Amino acid sequence: MEKNDKIIRIKNLIASYDGNTVLDGIDLDIKKGEIFVILGSSGGGKTTLLKHIIGLLKPVHGTIEVFGKDILSMEHYEFDTILKKVGVLFQGGALINSMEVWENVAVPLEQHSDLSLDVIKEVVKYKLGLVKLGHAYSLLPSELSGGMKKRVALARAIALDPEILFFDEPSAGLDPITAAELDNLILNLKEKMGITLVVVTHELESIKRIADRIVYLQKGKNIFCGTIEEAKKAGIDEVDRFFGWA
Amino acid sequence: MSDQSSKYRIVVDGSFTKFDIGNMKKKIENQKRGDSDIIIDLSGANKFDSLSVAFCSKLESDRSVRLIKSPELESEIADFNQTAGSDKAETPEPDFTEKLVLAFYGLFYHIRDFIILAADIFYFSFVSVISSKGRKKGSVYEQINLIGNNAVPIVFLLSFLIGLILSLQSAAQLRQFGANIFLVDLIVIAMITEMGPMITAVIVAGRSGSAIAAEISTMKITEELDALKVMALNPLKYVVAPKMLAMTLSLPALTIMANLVGIFGGFIIAVLYLDLSPNIFFDRAVDVMSLNFWGQSILKSVLFSWLIVIIGSHYGFRVKGGAEGVGKATTASVVASIFAVIMTDAFLSLIFYFEF
Ligand SMILES: Nc1ncnc2c1ncn2[C@@H]1O[C@H](COP(=O)(O)OP(=O)(O)OP(=O)(O)O)[C@@H](O)[C@H]1O
Ligand SMILES: [Mg+2]
Repeated sequence: MEKNDKIIRIKNLIASYDGNTVLDGIDLDIKKGEIFVILGSSGGGKTTLLKHIIGLLKPVHGTIEVFGKDILSMEHYEFDTILKKVGVLFQGGALINSMEVWENVAVPLEQHSDLSLDVIKEVVKYKLGLVKLGHAYSLLPSELSGGMKKRVALARAIALDPEILFFDEPSAGLDPITAAELDNLILNLKEKMGITLVVVTHELESIKRIADRIVYLQKGKNIFCGTIEEAKKAGIDEVDRFFGWA
Repeated sequence: MSDQSSKYRIVVDGSFTKFDIGNMKKKIENQKRGDSDIIIDLSGANKFDSLSVAFCSKLESDRSVRLIKSPELESEIADFNQTAGSDKAETPEPDFTEKLVLAFYGLFYHIRDFIILAADIFYFSFVSVISSKGRKKGSVYEQINLIGNNAVPIVFLLSFLIGLILSLQSAAQLRQFGANIFLVDLIVIAMITEMGPMITAVIVAGRSGSAIAAEISTMKITEELDALKVMALNPLKYVVAPKMLAMTLSLPALTIMANLVGIFGGFIIAVLYLDLSPNIFFDRAVDVMSLNFWGQSILKSVLFSWLIVIIGSHYGFRVKGGAEGVGKATTASVVASIFAVIMTDAFLSLIFYFEF
C-alpha cells in the first residue's frame, strides 16, 4: 500500500548535456493526487528534470519509476501506454502551428480513442470550454496570444483525462487575474478528477495557492523537499530568500 | 596646453559617455600618426556609462597611451571587469588536430544518423501502409496534393521546354547526316531514362524537399516534435511517413508525365523543323519505347523520391538554433538532395548502360 501512493519515484538521477552535469543525484517521490511544485533558480534544471520524467531525455544514471514501473528499462510500446495516461504542457505551449486550435486538441483524441469525429469535436468543445476558449475553436496558433496558447495547450494536455499532468511554467507571462484563474483550474483538476500535478513555476502567489509539496533544485541538487510549512521551519538560506522569509 | 613638445594631451572634464568615444578615437588616431606620446587626462571626468568604461579599460592596455584616471573611473573599471569576468565559461580553443578529429567524428555521426533515420523512415512508412494508426488523418491525400498535384504545371512546362530544346539542338546536327528519323530515338530514350526522372526530381527537391526540411526543423525548434512524442505519437510515423508515401506515389507519376510531355516537345520539333510526318514519329516512338526504359525511369524516380524525403527529414531533425537554423537546414537539404539525385542518376545510368 505504501508504495502504491507514490506515483513517481526518482532515485539518484544524474543528467547532463554534452558532459555538463545539470542534475546531480536527485531523489524524489511524488504522491498520487497531490500538486507537486518544482522550484529553483533559473537554469537550475527544472525543465530538464521534467523532460526526464516524461522520457524525452535519457539520464546518465539513476532510476525513474512512473506508476510503479521503471520507465528506463521498458519497451517503446509499454512506455506509450504510460504516455497515454499523462498530459504535458510545455514551457512554450508547443502547439502544432499548421493546425487550427480544435485540431490541436483533437490530435490525442483522434489517435488514442475510438471516438468518431463528430464526438471528438464535442469533446474538444468541452475541453476548450474548461479553459474558457470556446471562441478560439477555429483559429490558428499564430492568431492566439501567449496566454491563450498556454490554455489551448492545457486543453490538449487534458484531452484524454490524464492521471498525471506536467506543467512547465503555466503562469509565466500571464497577468495576475488570468494566472489566478489558471490556478483555480489546476485546483479543480486535482479535486474533481483526482489528477496528480507536477508543476514548474516561479510565481510565489501561485505556489502558495496550489502547492501541496515543493522541491527546491539548486545547481542540480535537491536541497529541500516537503510542504511549504516544513520549508519555513527548515531554515535553508536559499529557500528562505526565494520565499522572502529571510 | 602641452608641457613637452612630443607629448599630446587630451583632457576631458565632466561627462565621458558612449557619444564621446568616436571623437576620442579620432584624436588618438591622428596623434598616433604624428608619432608623439599621448596623455589622456580623465581625472576631471566623473560621469561614465558602461561603453565608455569598456573603452577606457581597453585603453589602459594600450602602450602608446597614458591614461590618467579619476578615482570614479578607477572603481568603475574594476566593477566592470569583475562583472564581465565573473562566471566565465572557460572553454579552451581546440587546436588543429583536435579540430580534425572533431570534424571526423562529426562526419561519422552525420552518416550514422542518416543511415539510422533512413532505416526508421522505411520501417515506419511500411508500417503505415499496413495500418493508418498513428498517422494524421487524411495526411497522405493532403501531401499528394501538395507534392504531386501542385507541381504539375511547373513540371509540365519545364519538361516540355527541355524536350523542345534538346530536340532542336540535336535536330540541327542530325539533319546534316540526313538522320532525321533518329531524333525520335534520341528524344525518347533521353527523356525516359535521363531527363524526365532527373528534371522532375530536381524540381520536386526544390519545391518539396525544402518544404519537408523547413517544416520538420520548425517543428523541432518550437518543441512540436516533443509534444507529439509525449502524446505517444512517433514523429516519423505522424509527420514523415505520410510525406514518404505521398512522395513515392507522386514523383513517379510526375516523371511519367514529364517523359511524355518532353517527347511531345520533340514531336513538335520533328514535325515543324525536320518535316517528319506525325505518323512516322508515332510509329518509331512506339518501337523505341521498350518496357526496359520505362522500368529504368520508374525505378530512378522511386529512388529519388526516397532520397528527397530522407535527406529533407535528416536535415530537419538535425536543426540547431532558431530561425537561422531553419534557413540553414532548408538550404543544406536542397543542395544535398540535388547532389544525391544527380550522383545516383549517374551511377544507375552507368549500371544500366553496361548491364542491359
Ligand atoms: N538542449 C540543451 N542543450 C544543452 N544545455 C542545455 C539544454 N537545455 C538546457 N541546458 C542547460 O541545462 C541547464 C538547466 O536548464 P533547464 O532548462 O533545466 O533550467 P530551468 O530550471 O528550467 O530554468 P528556467 O527556470 O529558466 O526555465 C542550463 O544550464 C542550461 O544551459
Ligand atoms: Mg525551464
